[in-house]
Amino acid sequence: MTKTLQDIKKLVEPTRIHRTIYTDPEIFDLEMERIFENTWIYLGHESQIREAGDYLTVNIGRRPVIMVRGKEGEINVLHNQCAHRGAKVAGKKCGNVRAFRCCYHGWTFKTDGKLIGVPHKVGYEQTDFDINDPAFSLKKIRSESYRGFVFANLSADGPDLRTFLGDAASSIDNMIDRAPDGELEITGGVLRFHHNCNWKLFVDNLNDTMHPMVTHQSVGDACQAYVDELPEGAPKTHEADIISPFGSSYKLFDEMGVSVGPNGHGFTGGATSIHSNYMDIPGYMEAMHKAYGEQKTRDILSVNRHNTIYYPSLTIKGAIQSIRIVRPVAVNETEIETWTFRLKGAPDEMLQRTMLYSRLINSPSSMVGADDLEAYRRLQAGLQSGGTEWVNMSRFIGREEHPDGNMTRAIGTSDISLRNQYHAWLDYMTRNTQKEVA
Amino acid sequence: MTNPAMKQARNCPDVAELTNLLYREADFLDQTNLRAWIDLFTEDGAYWMPVEAGQEDPINHISIFYDDKAMMQIRQHNLDHARAPSKETEVRSSHIIGNVRLVDFDAETGNCTVKSNFQAAVYYGGQTLYAGSYTHDLVWTGDKYLIRRKRVDLINCDASHSTMVIYI
Repeated sequence: MTKTLQDIKKLVEPTRIHRTIYTDPEIFDLEMERIFENTWIYLGHESQIREAGDYLTVNIGRRPVIMVRGKEGEINVLHNQCAHRGAKVAGKKCGNVRAFRCCYHGWTFKTDGKLIGVPHKVGYEQTDFDINDPAFSLKKIRSESYRGFVFANLSADGPDLRTFLGDAASSIDNMIDRAPDGELEITGGVLRFHHNCNWKLFVDNLNDTMHPMVTHQSVGDACQAYVDELPEGAPKTHEADIISPFGSSYKLFDEMGVSVGPNGHGFTGGATSIHSNYMDIPGYMEAMHKAYGEQKTRDILSVNRHNTIYYPSLTIKGAIQSIRIVRPVAVNETEIETWTFRLKGAPDEMLQRTMLYSRLINSPSSMVGADDLEAYRRLQAGLQSGGTEWVNMSRFIGREEHPDGNMTRAIGTSDISLRNQYHAWLDYMTRNTQKEVA
Repeated sequence: MTNPAMKQARNCPDVAELTNLLYREADFLDQTNLRAWIDLFTEDGAYWMPVEAGQEDPINHISIFYDDKAMMQIRQHNLDHARAPSKETEVRSSHIIGNVRLVDFDAETGNCTVKSNFQAAVYYGGQTLYAGSYTHDLVWTGDKYLIRRKRVDLINCDASHSTMVIYI
């Protein structure tokens, strides 16, 4: 059965969404086509491909692509599909090449996608084959970098990347500003965390501030139980520093605030967040003061955002220098990749805290992540029941909200982030209507 | 070669002694007895599961696990907590350990390093088979060995993993 425009419009109301958007495989296929394969999707960071020929391979929705540093230092994003018979020309997750040579019949392509070699060339005379015809090159995809963060867009329509990111780009700015040298570098490998749930359940949860004191109560208590057993005067530990705030009070989350903007983007936190009371890293403040002066340093470090979502594919934690990438696989299967950054010019202890945070919160071994995933699994299963057809998102609607630049700021435990994401979702899903109206 | 003039902390352990120790440790995990398991580690002990084959650095590079004793204790408290959603599903494991071999022995301290291969089936809602090698750095305390570091190299360390709610 094919969903009509009207069918899809019925799935999102101002205060509720229909349960099947998480469970219906047809909706998932439409999301890949109309959202992931139709907007700016995060691929990787420029520091991952420094030298000419450095590349990485990822999927945009269901489509395999290559992000590669070209000969002139430019970044090219190419369909990972040989123009001959269609095999992926790059088979590894990352590497360095002079040219991409297909493993099947040896067609060879430059790092800008141009076909440069075909073995045993005889036999193509009087055919449509022409080595210089762009139809026989690896097809290029529109891509842009925002301060090192590379996105690609399979659609030629729509805004440029900067416009797409809007005011939410300030979270990327703040993460970069936190580096005394004003530069970030991806380092220390990647964590891949398999989630057997719909991708939106993960994204919904990023700015859901009503779940930690329920879902993560046990982790907060376990931390406290550990601290209570310590001998008097024992030094504070980074572990307790990082985990304990996940069991914070509703008041803290109310005060954190939440901001939402166009295209589904948004962030929780502001002057305060669960990251704002970490212990100082020795040497970091000195390095920041030297680079920026005391006032500017205060300004930079007073921005303590928790999660920022660049809907639908990238989520960042500026204050902790880690990012998570959302890669949907199937209606009930999602891959979450966590990458970590070094703040250039900061002491090594800063990176080590980032790694500790990522292990404790983003790793498959995380106690926090395990409890979140358990909630997502139960959502995925429970939503099949149909006892109620709707998922509620009415908390604080129209209340405790005010404009803030091009974004809207609200009380931290508002459901505004959900409403904003599903507004964007519906917009994407119903935007290109020509095919269906007919 | 051992210098005869040098004081020797203990004899070189044989494989049977080391194997017993590894069996005992795995048995505590299979009983989900974290309290007893943690006591097998030195105060500066660590449990490390790298995310890359041959990974050398546990602190400037990400790992799946790199727990000190503080983290082990927090996990133990969490496992016992009545309201941990992820712990409502019971977890059971069964470890098989083999190919135990001594790779390093320091006669002066009695400390040694033991490598072994393992397969661990973990049942947690569904069943998952983990396989790989262990490297145990052991410290001789005068009457027994304690673990200074247990390194767990999964053969699929860099794969996408679901929740790991217990040490392997």
